Parts: sequence; C-alpha cells; structure tokens
Amino acid sequence: MISPRQHAVYNSPIAEMLIPLPCFSSRASSLLLALCFWLTPLTYGADWSTPEQELARKIAAVTGPGTVALEVVDRASFNKKDVDDISRGLRVQLETLGLRTAKPEQAAATVQVSLSENLQSYVWVAEIHQGAGEFSVVMVTAPRLDEATFAGETAPLNIRKIPLWSQEERILDVAVLEEGSSPSHLAVLDPDKVALYRFTDGRWQKEQAMEVTHSRPWPRDMRGRLVMRQDHLLDAYLPGVFCQSSNRAPLTLTCRASDDPWPLSNQFTLGGFFAANRNFFTGVLSPGISKQTSTGKYYSAAPIPRQKYTLWMFATVDGQVHLLDGITDQTARWNWGSDIASVKTSCGSGWQVLATRAGDSSTDSVKAYELPDREPIPVSQAVDFAGGVMALWTEAKGSTAVAVSRNGETGNYEAFRLAITCGQ
Amino acid sequence: MKHSGWQLLAVSSLLLGMLATAETRPQYGGTLHVSTRIAPASLDPSDNSQPDSVARRNLDRLMFDTLVTMDNRGRLQSSLATAWQAEPGNQRWQFSLRRGVKFHDGSPLTPEAVAASIRAANPGWNASAAVDSVIIEREAAAPDLPAELTRTRNAIAKRGPGGTVLGTGPFQVAEWQPGKKLRLSAEEGYWGGRAFLDAIEIEMGKSARDQLIALELRKTDIAEVATEQAQPAPTDGKRVRTSAPVELMALVFTRDKQSPEESKLRDALALSIDRASIRSVVLQGVGDPSGAILPNWVTGYAFVFPTDQNVGRARQERSEVHRVPGWSLRYDAGDPIARVIAERIALNARDAGITLQATTATDADLHLERLALASANPRVALRTVARELGLPEPKLSSDSVEELYQAEAAMLQTQQVVPLFQLPTSYALNANVQDWNQDRDGAWHLEYVWLVNKP
Repeated sequence: MISPRQHAVYNSPIAEMLIPLPCFSSRASSLLLALCFWLTPLTYGADWSTPEQELARKIAAVTGPGTVALEVVDRASFNKKDVDDISRGLRVQLETLGLRTAKPEQAAATVQVSLSENLQSYVWVAEIHQGAGEFSVVMVTAPRLDEATFAGETAPLNIRKIPLWSQEERILDVAVLEEGSSPSHLAVLDPDKVALYRFTDGRWQKEQAMEVTHSRPWPRDMRGRLVMRQDHLLDAYLPGVFCQSSNRAPLTLTCRASDDPWPLSNQFTLGGFFAANRNFFTGVLSPGISKQTSTGKYYSAAPIPRQKYTLWMFATVDGQVHLLDGITDQTARWNWGSDIASVKTSCGSGWQVLATRAGDSSTDSVKAYELPDREPIPVSQAVDFAGGVMALWTEAKGSTAVAVSRNGETGNYEAFRLAITCGQ
Repeated sequence: MKHSGWQLLAVSSLLLGMLATAETRPQYGGTLHVSTRIAPASLDPSDNSQPDSVARRNLDRLMFDTLVTMDNRGRLQSSLATAWQAEPGNQRWQFSLRRGVKFHDGSPLTPEAVAASIRAANPGWNASAAVDSVIIEREAAAPDLPAELTRTRNAIAKRGPGGTVLGTGPFQVAEWQPGKKLRLSAEEGYWGGRAFLDAIEIEMGKSARDQLIALELRKTDIAEVATEQAQPAPTDGKRVRTSAPVELMALVFTRDKQSPEESKLRDALALSIDRASIRSVVLQGVGDPSGAILPNWVTGYAFVFPTDQNVGRARQERSEVHRVPGWSLRYDAGDPIARVIAERIALNARDAGITLQATTATDADLHLERLALASANPRVALRTVARELGLPEPKLSSDSVEELYQAEAAMLQTQQVVPLFQLPTSYALNANVQDWNQDRDGAWHLEYVWLVNKP
C-alpha cells in the first residue's frame, strides 16, 4: 500500500523532473546514487492541518464544548503512522475549540472519524453520536497527494538506470544536448512537440517548445526518434513525418510528410523505412546490408561489429530475431521483447545488446547480452521498469541508450539513460 | 459443472500460454471475438428504449465518441471536444471541436452534426452550432455538463434514414444483426490512431454459461463472468478481470408510500435483510453490501449508511403496524442469481413478520433491480438514479461532498429504494488477448487490445 504521508508532495520544487540531476555525477558511488533516490521522497511531508482544523470545527459545531471520545479509523490507504498523526492533530484542534477528549464512558459524545477516499480526494467523515439516538455526520475533503514521482531504486549492478525525464505526455525519445558531470540540456520528443529544457539555477526550466505539425492522425503505439546533427541541432523522425530543426537560436522546427528511412544507428549507415500508420519498420533497408535490402517487419534493430562485417539483429513483429550479416538472414527465438539497442562500451567484448524482456507488458525489464557467436549470453542482471518499455534507442554517443516506460502506478512516462558499468 | 468448466478453461489457458509468442510491442491484426448477455435491438447510443448497462456502454464506445471523456481519476479529458468553457452561471457552455474528424461514411464532423446529435439525445437542451464549436444552453446552471457529456448516451452520432447511425469511433459497423451479432472493422483513419485489431465480432444474447463454454472452446476471446463466479479458486489458471463496483442491486418500490404505517413496514423490511449472508452464500463473496446508492469509491462516505441486519428492530417496527399487507417482489427471470436473492430476502422478511412473495410478474410491489452506475462523477450518477427511480432530481449547486451526502440521504429517506449490494463486472479472457484495460467504472478500451496467435 502507498503511504500517503511518505509520498506526500504538495509543492514539488521541480514538477516534471524526477530528482535533481546533480545527484548523478558520473563519479557518484552507487551508494550515493541510491541515497539520492531513496531519500528524496522521504524529505517531503504532508500537511494535514487544514482538513484537521476544518473537521474539528465542524465537529465542535455539532457537539458544542465538552468531552468527546474520538476514534480515528482508516478506510483508505493510510498507514498506522498516518492515522496516529492525524488522530493527534485532530485532538489538538478539538482542544483549541474547547473540547476535551476522553474515554467513551466519560464522554458526552462519541466521534468516529473515518479516513476515506473517493476518486478525486480524501474524504474524512465524522459520525457523531450524542445522547439516545442522536446521530450527525459531518465531513471534509482533502486533495489527494500526488503519487510518488519516483520509487526507490535498487542498487545498480551492470546496468545503471539513470532518470532523465518524466512527464504526463507520452515521451517518444529524449536526447541529451549538453552535459558536464550530468545532463544540463535536454530535448524531449512527444507526439506534439520537441521541447528543450535547460538545468539553470538548480532547476529544470523549459527553454523552448517546437510544434510537430502533421496532417494525418498518428498511429496508436506511436514511436519517434531524435537524431543529433552536426550542421543543425537535431532531426526528428515520426511515423510519416520528418522534422528538421534550424541551426541557430531561436530554433525552429520544420516538419513535412515523409517516408524517408529512419537511421537505425549512429555508428553504421543503415536506414529503415517505417510504416506510417503502424508501429513497426516495413523491413525494407536502405542502402542495405551488403546485398541484403530487406528482412521481416521489425520493431527495432541493433548492430554488432565483427572483424569483417557487421551483424545486424532485427526484433521482428513475429517475436523472432533476424540476424543479417550481408549474406544470410538467420532467424532465432531468444525470448527477447520487441525493443533492442546496441551500445559500445569499455566492458566485456566492447559491444553489448540491450534487450527488453518478452512477455506481459504491464512491467518490463532490460538485460544486456553479448554475442560471441550467434547465441546471446546474458552479461548483466535485468533492470526493472514499472511499466512496459515503449522506446529503447541508442544515444548519439553510442555508449548509452535511452529507455522510455510508462509507470503503471503514476501513469507518467519516464525516460532513463541506461549505462553499462563494468565489473560490478 | 462450474468447476469442471473452469478446469477445462485452466488447461486450455495454460496451453495457450505455452503457445503464445511473447513480444511486448503491440501487434496489428486479427479478429477479437466477444460474447455478451445483452441483446440490443438498436445501435443508437441515445435510444432510451434499450436497457442501460455497462456492457451496452462498452459496445457504444467502440463505434462512437463523446465530446469529453473521464479518466480513471475522475478527471475530464478532451475527446471530440478539445476545449470547453462556461459563461458565468454555468448555464451556457461552449465546446471547441477537434478538427479533421470524420464520421464512418467519410463526412466531416461539423458543429451542425454535433449540435443535432446532442439535441436528439437531450430534447430539453438547446444545442447550436457556432464556428468550430458547439454551444449548449441549459435551463438552469449546469456545472456538471462536461461530466454529463462523458456518458455514452451523449455520444456523437449521425442519424440517417431507416434508423442508421454513424459514429466517429475506432471501429465501424461491418455487419449488424439486431440482438444477435455485430461485426466491427477498424476505422483506418481514426483520429485517435487506428486500433490494433482488424475486427471485433460480438455474439449477443448469450447466457453466462454459454459464454464460458465458448471461451473453453476458443470460440470467444472475452466472456462475461457471472457475479457469483468472479472469485474463482486461484489455481484455476484463467484470467479474470474485475472492475470496481459499478452496479447497484437494490429493492425498488413501484409506488410511493401511502401512510406512516407503510413507512414503518418499509423500514422493517430494510432492517430485516441479511446482506452479509447473501453476499457470502449467494454471491460467493463478490460485491459489497451497501446501504448507499452510490459506491464508496465514487463518494467516499457510503459506509455511513448502515447495512447490518437488525431483526429485533425490524420486528419492533413491524409490531407498530396493525394491518400488514403481503407484498410481491419481482425478479428478472433471466438473471440467474436474482431469483435466489429474492427468495432469501423473502425469508429474511418473514423473520420480521412481513410476507414477501418472490415472483416474475411485472405488476409486483417491489422490483429487485440492477442499476448501472451512470458516471464516475457522483453528482451525475446521483441525478441519473433519481431520474430512473422517478424521484425529484437533487439540487446540487457545488462539488461539496457534504451536499452530495445530504442529497443521497434525502433520496434514501423517501424509502423508494433499499440498496443491497454494489457489484462489479467481471470478464474472463483468453491468453491471446493482450493489453486488456478496464477502467474502474468497467469501461473497455478495445482499441488498445491486440492478439497473439491471431487467426
């Protein structure tokens, strides 16, 4: 059960940011990282004084001054400490209004306060019994506390899952535009816009939002990708739409209907045509892998360089993985999900494939694999997500990936950087 | 029979689970087969001659959109209307329409079409077209008008000759055999994105038992589960999804009370009912005993209305009445547990000295009814119940929960209705059905559903 007190956030200083990014200096120890995650929610505290005062006032208006027996019952999602705190607060408020609390046999009235809730608010109900059969009901509402913006993270092992961004709107991709010890400038792609955020004066501030214009309806399970460019800031690839930013501030975004192939990698020149009204790539490759110019319809692709060729893996819509090396198109069933991405690191063989888990999409996980031959060998423990992973793209530098999932508890979309660390 | 059925289902579910390939991103294609007990003769969402139910609303949502929708936290969300605002006094509202939306015949969604649809569903409302928007004027302040428009009976429909209705929803009608079968195909240009499924086939008028057999035989992918079967043994292996309580089962008197003595008798009857036993024995632990009209998850205060049986007080009330007439209690012959519950209530009433005869005759003194929760907005829901029961519509001027409580208490004090249980709806799903989502109010979202191993 969620403890409303523990996760209370009335005035979150940075509404959309998960936690202050300075917590994630690249040299921060895992312990410090974990503390950043764990301690942040605990520093917030709920203030129940307003509903306590209001309910006490309403109770006193019914009973008048005298003695009352007070019992507080949880009918919602409060824990014992919450109930005790609220009970204590109510007693204090009643005393300021001239009521003394006593045992039932010594009291002129008994008051049972139920801490209930409805769809939109907490509902505190006081049932007041006075004399023979006199019964009154008074109640107040209190706004529901925001769900925890982020749950505590377990200690990272081989894959570090670093929060980048969280928002209510669907996130298609996030690109880190500038960073020192931690990201300081982000581009966030959602179905309507590319938004730029800068970390200034200790908080994230929206710098600019550039509208993504399109004439046709977006497909369901929409996808999109940001690609950093050298001659201008970025390109955005969306189903049937291509957008290009200008090269100087203030930036503009020019979008047009397009079936141009999406780049499948920053390190290797290969593009894939995306079905404009679906959620997959058509299978047609540009310019192709050697002489291979097509494979099955696929959701995602990941390259692993070999000595004399590049092995491309495609997570196809039939749940299989197609391996293309320029000559053969080999299929395999590896219990991978539909999103894969490769990263070049200083660990292991130097290249790993990050793959989502096959199965139910209510929760998800990503695990790192290496392919010494044609069979994947897991090289990390799985890192879990609170909802299905909806995007997994290799970042511009190629050493990390961005994963986006929808938190099943909060309903928010959350983007993380996945970074592989060696020897942990 | 019930157990063997579920065991078969468990085995078939396990087999399907083994066969299913598992990839997390949704796949397009396939036909979803759905069974339902309801058998509507019309697809018009505002046709009041068809009984209202959660299942009917779910069918309507496949073909029709409303101007506004409500999310799982009770917040209003844009749909065919992208914005709305009221003039001071909340009597005149303007709804800006989404651009580029088309009806299933390819004609554009225009303000004129929307206004005509609103007027057809609500003859007492004044709805008119404006530039890119619709103006709705009510006779009195209507602060909950946007919430009222989330109801499927207010879905936007274009009515043509011969009773044809067209919507703008994610699926369009491909074949319609009134009361028997409905085949829907995905609308390619749906403004919210094409559904993953290619088609949905709905078999209507099927009993819960027939639906379960069809599920076991893989002739259907989604079947309604009878209330008393919604909590199967955890080892059954099937997937059953249950909503929050969305249906009030209640005794409804068919006429106003005639005297103070009848008031005492009605009170005695309400006190005599052993809801806890009925829930435990007949409903197999499903549902919540309720003394309230609206469920607690909607109001937050339902527990204040008592549900405990008090035979002593019931007898006391009964003893103060000199002439006790016998009452008849009508139940729906097509509802498998209604008869059993009606007979249990008759037994309870006899303990209090009241004669109650369970019957299927329509001219009974009381009806055992199921009232579907009209909205997750409690004010809209309470007003709707009042209309359905023929009671004066409560005047609710604010969103104060205390005012709502007073209004509900006043409705109960009329003694026209004796709430019994708040019941959920439950569905059993085949293992090939993915990303099934059901809102707390029982609303489906089949546009998100996709199939593995699709035929």
